[in-house]
Amino acid sequence: MTVLLVGGAYQGKAALAKRLYPDLPLVQNLHARVRDELAAGHDPMALLGASRGHVITCDEVGCGVVPLDRADEAYREAVGRLCCALAEEADAVVRVMAGVPQWIKGEKPCM
Amino acid sequence: MLILVTGGSASGKSAHAERLLCEHAASSRLYLATMQPFGAAAQKRIARHRALRQGKGFETVERPLDLAGLELPRRYDSILLEDLGNLLANELFAPAGAKDAAFGSILAGIERLQDCCETLVIVTNEIFSDGLPYPAETIRYIELLGRLNAALCARADAAYESVCGILLPVKEGKTR
Repeated sequence: MTVLLVGGAYQGKAALAKRLYPDLPLVQNLHARVRDELAAGHDPMALLGASRGHVITCDEVGCGVVPLDRADEAYREAVGRLCCALAEEADAVVRVMAGVPQWIKGEKPCM
Repeated sequence: MLILVTGGSASGKSAHAERLLCEHAASSRLYLATMQPFGAAAQKRIARHRALRQGKGFETVERPLDLAGLELPRRYDSILLEDLGNLLANELFAPAGAKDAAFGSILAGIERLQDCCETLVIVTNEIFSDGLPYPAETIRYIELLGRLNAALCARADAAYESVCGILLPVKEGKTR
């Protein structure tokens, strides 16, 4: 099973991931890994395969003014495209705001 | 009919806007592109959007400014306006832009487009949540885009937000 939790920074995504999906290995802050991959000259889409079978948290970083810096713009674009691809594959996508989960794909797990 | 599709960058909003338009309009489709093709990033984005539209029967008109003065070759079932963020930037910052009259000029232009088609789908941008400080002219741009989104959403039959390629209803009316 693959689950993606997205939302703004500091909304309680990781805490929710652990509470809602305790049996899945956690990948935290996918956006930071995208930045690392880009800095190393790798294609961040490679993170898609490595994310399967995990519960993943990622900041929604695309909701600001388009950055003037080319690398910052490419980073936002890469995070967005990776999240679209990941969401398409995922069994559940949860958007988190103020610590409250909203399932925008899939079902809430039975607790 | 007016449909608004918003979302952050690379959130899948273009693909959804095209799909919604194709669902609502059987045949003649116009793609109204507002982006000025300056720089490698813009070229790449334009190429990506062209590939998305391929085979869907869109005519394309590039119009970075002054929608109200646009003379279309004919009437269309549907028009896809992509996107409002670029249009506003052009009206505010391009030499030939409407400058202080940008807000009214854009709304008048959109009214004109609505007169030229049955279904108008507008792609706009969520740029409001990075919490960063900006120069006054950028703040004004952000504020005007926010006000345009609000004004258009009030008139729209439906409005959606694309999140990770998933379309979420913001306002759902008589389109479904």
